[in-house]
Amino acid sequence: MTDSKYFTTTKKGEIFELKNELNSDKKEKKKEAVKKVIASMTVGKDVSALFPDVVNCMQTDNVELKKLVYLYLMNYAKSQPDLAIMAVNTFVKDCEDPNPLIRALAVRTMGCIRVEKITEYLCDPLRRCMKDEDPYVRKTAAVCVAKLHDMNPTLVKDQGFVELLNDLLSDANPMVVANAVAALTEMNDQQTVIEVNSQMVNKLLTALNECTEWGQVFILDALAGYTPRDERETQNICERISPRLAHANAAVVLSTVKVLMKLIDMMPADSDFITQLTKKLAPPMVTLLSAEPEIQYVALRNINLIVQKRPDILKQEMKVFFVKYNDPIYVKMEKLDIMIRLAQQNNISQVLSELKEYATEVDVDFVRKSVRAIGRCAIKVETSSERCVQTLLELIQTKVNYVVQEAVVVIKDIFRKYPNRYESIISALCENLDTLDEPEARASMIWIIGEYAERIDNADELLESFVEGFHDENTQVQLQLLTAVVKLFLKRPGVAQALVQRVLSLATQDSDNPDLRDRGFIYWRLLSADPAAAKNVVLTEKPLISEETDLLEPSLLEQLVCHIGTLASVYHKPPSAFIDPAKAPLRQINPIPTAKFGSSLLDTSSATNASRNGSAPTVIPSQDQVIADLLSLDLNAPATSANTGGYGASMSGTTSMGGLDDLLGLGGDSMPAAPAMASSNNPFDSLAGLGMPSAVPAAQQPASIGGLAEIFGSGGFGASSGYTHPKEMWLDASKAMGMQVEGTFVRRNGRISMEITITNRAMQAISEFALQFNKNSFGLIPVEQMDQSPILPNQSKNFTIVCDTSGPVQVTTPLTNLQVRLIYKM
Amino acid sequence: MGGVMSYFRGLFGAREMRILILGLDGAGKTTILYRLQVGEVVTTIPTIGFNVEQVEYKNLKFQVWDLGGQTSIRPYWRCYYANTDAIIYVVDSADRDRVGISRQELATMLQEDELQGAVLAVLANKQDIAGCLTETEVYKALGLDALRNRTIQIFKTSASKGEGLDAAMDWLANQLQQKK
Repeated sequence: MTDSKYFTTTKKGEIFELKNELNSDKKEKKKEAVKKVIASMTVGKDVSALFPDVVNCMQTDNVELKKLVYLYLMNYAKSQPDLAIMAVNTFVKDCEDPNPLIRALAVRTMGCIRVEKITEYLCDPLRRCMKDEDPYVRKTAAVCVAKLHDMNPTLVKDQGFVELLNDLLSDANPMVVANAVAALTEMNDQQTVIEVNSQMVNKLLTALNECTEWGQVFILDALAGYTPRDERETQNICERISPRLAHANAAVVLSTVKVLMKLIDMMPADSDFITQLTKKLAPPMVTLLSAEPEIQYVALRNINLIVQKRPDILKQEMKVFFVKYNDPIYVKMEKLDIMIRLAQQNNISQVLSELKEYATEVDVDFVRKSVRAIGRCAIKVETSSERCVQTLLELIQTKVNYVVQEAVVVIKDIFRKYPNRYESIISALCENLDTLDEPEARASMIWIIGEYAERIDNADELLESFVEGFHDENTQVQLQLLTAVVKLFLKRPGVAQALVQRVLSLATQDSDNPDLRDRGFIYWRLLSADPAAAKNVVLTEKPLISEETDLLEPSLLEQLVCHIGTLASVYHKPPSAFIDPAKAPLRQINPIPTAKFGSSLLDTSSATNASRNGSAPTVIPSQDQVIADLLSLDLNAPATSANTGGYGASMSGTTSMGGLDDLLGLGGDSMPAAPAMASSNNPFDSLAGLGMPSAVPAAQQPASIGGLAEIFGSGGFGASSGYTHPKEMWLDASKAMGMQVEGTFVRRNGRISMEITITNRAMQAISEFALQFNKNSFGLIPVEQMDQSPILPNQSKNFTIVCDTSGPVQVTTPLTNLQVRLIYKM
Repeated sequence: MGGVMSYFRGLFGAREMRILILGLDGAGKTTILYRLQVGEVVTTIPTIGFNVEQVEYKNLKFQVWDLGGQTSIRPYWRCYYANTDAIIYVVDSADRDRVGISRQELATMLQEDELQGAVLAVLANKQDIAGCLTETEVYKALGLDALRNRTIQIFKTSASKGEGLDAAMDWLANQLQQKK
């Protein structure tokens, strides 16, 4: 007796029973069986094994049974792609069924079956259904084309479905038009299959008024993708769609707003037409705020975008954004946001009294945001700042922990905005030093102490108390503490000498955080090399912060305005950020990469660049950007003053990727490796050597930051190309069969060149040079080859090889390491 | 005889006979099916999948399955073998090149356990086309003479003209009734 019996089961089981019932010739029993199968399917049992049997029930005149089988097919066709072919003939037949419901059912199911193998068989029936006499079948077929396109775009194009869809746009039935346009829009999102043109727009506008509400949304979405030819057409479209603003469906209203927002942009800004249109836009949005909280929230998120784009639309409507006591918290928060954006001189007193009220509510998050909002108002409306600060002080006096902390954070911003005006309240703040336990509040407080160290008598004691627990602090507090102590030292060198040394050693020697270490080293070098320069850098005048806060990046805003009424406008993220990138719409108004959105560091560094040019204002970062902002608080400042420009550039470079470029400007180090022999030389020497009027190779620092320090030490890099670091011996003749190589890197007219001198100390001529750089951190590669004329014995020759940084990048350790390969013939 | 018939119908009338129409693609299976069902020639397209129809012949009810003959579909024929009473195997007599393939498919099919009891009617179809194989030639080409233990009959038919189908159905009906 073998054990094989254990593998053959005598139990037939449920599936077997169902199989029998499905093959029964009694129709009733069959139907029951299919129902059982569907029931099992819906509760998650795998009944895919019954696929052929269920498919065999497909040809029936019983619509109910047919629907069930179709349901089964949609679910399991993908798991049985080969067997799915057995269903094709039935689809083909059903698409010619006298009953339009069956035809539509068949064509819809066909679209839902995503099996590559059978799609080609379904084209003919689909084409027939697109020309069906029944509008319901036609509109179902239109949607099916979009599904097919998702699976196989080329097939849709080759089979002429795009043209058929285009024909459906002129259909007499508005529902068909709406579905056709929805299909086309969806396909266009993936790749442009058809341009929306003015004839199409006319058809759509005609269908718009007769369509169901959701059809209207589709049509409006399609209209949003159209760019009118001239102003008259723009006005025409605006006029024809603006009645939709009065629609009861919020989606229709928002889609209409979206199209109008886009069209307004295309018209001259000062025209009467725009004024009129703007007036029309406000009431529908106000109406949305009387809907259910969920819809209110969506409306508010969208209004948030609209207010950023065109504040004047809702400037008269402040009152509707006042928080009601029974609003859900998410609505409250959004309303607060919009209130701050709408706050102006004429409504500020109203807003302030509201905010003050809010600050005494019970919900912690809401109170925090309200406190913050008061600070924002102070920054935004100068005339109100006095009252805002007063209000904040009153709130601080309540001693409610989180209120105090929020207040401290915003007061820091107020100090930035109105220097030397409200310093009298510092003492009140210092009283609450002990209650601060959140990193942001602590960091803000420390910043304030450092900034006004000369006015706070016991600043050194206060800071010292923070330094006690230096390693337990959050990074942003540590960074701030470091900066504050350095400020204190520069302002009152007498009291802080010991403290600054302690903090610097804590930051540089005991910390694992590279940012902290880097900043520590920079300060250290700065202070030891030239305290006067340090003063210029650290205590420089800071650029004013802007009034608007938490603004979305303009390109992102531009993009989001085009997505009003969609999830993107609720998330405030571009669609690509939250949907499958493979299926993300390619349609973008501004081809700005979304990377900016994710990285606050990049954001800040771009803000830094902007402020250096003196054009764009620095924006107060939202909470998640604070670390980066704290970094740049001190660093971006000197960049504005001309005499210290060099420092600013390099220092901000250390906080961003730009730093690599700056480093590069100083020329990579080289490690020449002539025929398999390498002589390494000090990376920092050549780093230090470039672009400096008086290069004195310094004592080496343990990390690459030492090279940077050198730059700071001698100052003024990058401006001139006059100085060239003397060539160094890269390869000695004794190690390379008589070939001696000396070289250096120079930057001329913005281009990096490698200059080498090859001396032939061998007995015969050398020729046929070829040069190659290994992959390096800067992507540095030679762009021209060397002169090929031979070098005779005891002759030497100079080469200048122009390089650029378009090569492959591979991070080397140390960063400045570069291997050069030189091949020659002897 | 009529009394006997009604006796049988009383016993088995409830049950429909299950007939499969098989054969290579383009042999004329779908045409035969609809010829049997509606008595007319319908325009057909290649069957990707199957057709199933109720056919009444001489007061007998058949459930006739017409399966697609494409190479890609042939592997799934076996899903339909269970409980089959009779097979109508259709051969395109004018397609001399593929008669060999047809023979192989038939042989593979007849080896199936589930079909051991099934009656086989081979239709040498498209006899109206000039130069086609004769009934006997088809019989030999398919190797039917080698088959033992099976009720087989070959008929020459022309589905488009409607010739020979009645004879085949008569024979099938008789065989199936006798089996009962």
